[in-house]
Amino acid sequence: MEQNYDFSKIGKQMPYTVPDGFFDKLEENVMKECAPTKPRVIRMAIRAALAIAACIALFLVVKKVLPQGQDTASDDFENVELAFNNLSTDDQDYLLEVYQEELLLDNDLNDLNNEESI
Amino acid sequence: MTDDNHIIPLIRENTEKGFRLLMAKYKEPVYWHIRRLVVSHADAQDATQDTFLRIFRSFSQYSGEGSFKAWIFRIATNEALRLLGRNQGKATLSLDESPQVTLTMKADEYFDYGNTEAIKLQKAITALPAKQQLAFNLRYYDDLSYKEIAVVTGSTEATVKANYHFAKEKIIKYMNSNDT
Repeated sequence: MEQNYDFSKIGKQMPYTVPDGFFDKLEENVMKECAPTKPRVIRMAIRAALAIAACIALFLVVKKVLPQGQDTASDDFENVELAFNNLSTDDQDYLLEVYQEELLLDNDLNDLNNEESI
Repeated sequence: MTDDNHIIPLIRENTEKGFRLLMAKYKEPVYWHIRRLVVSHADAQDATQDTFLRIFRSFSQYSGEGSFKAWIFRIATNEALRLLGRNQGKATLSLDESPQVTLTMKADEYFDYGNTEAIKLQKAITALPAKQQLAFNLRYYDDLSYKEIAVVTGSTEATVKANYHFAKEKIIKYMNSNDT
């Protein structure tokens, strides 16, 4: 049996093909997966939703504690303070934490808006 | 073609820009390397995507010593073997096992059935044990040195040379036979 074969006849040809534009799509898919911004936006959206829920909860607590017809603008702050004092220590800590996160979130969102506008 | 010595520091300075250059250079060679091992386009697509994600996430582990091309092809080979292993119900496929990929069975719509000589060559290659397949493919199609192939397969240059020699002999025998 002949022990030679002329590989140059076929070179690097292969019977395999790919769909049109496959390599460009592959690159975009990989770059999208590698992008670090997506999880950050999701984390911020979750924190925003938590902050909004906490604000609503605080508002409902204030409304419940206050007697009808007494929620005038002049003593709003005292009423909020009173409602806050009536909460358990754990709830107070939680609200303070959320309040601080909301402040940070505002800063993050401002930073993000600035980055996007650049 | 961009030199690896330009790509590596660029990834460290500007990850996205550097990684785009890396993909521009390696996306096709890596895909074709995997495709020759797994045969089906869908499988090759998955394994190629996983390869680049792994390169991206473990880039800091590349010491900078040794061939960057060999490091990339090692990751690509591991992803292909992992996929072949999964298809056989295992975590991964060892290099001592046969990939058991049957060209005609695994072929899909992205296959040129008209190129009979190329089909015959791929049949001969896919019938080889994994180590011989890798030695032949990486030398013949990707122009890797024996030293680089040894990095990819985790063996010695002498072993790679022997595997390449055995692979070539078997392929020549098959190509000269009447089998199709």
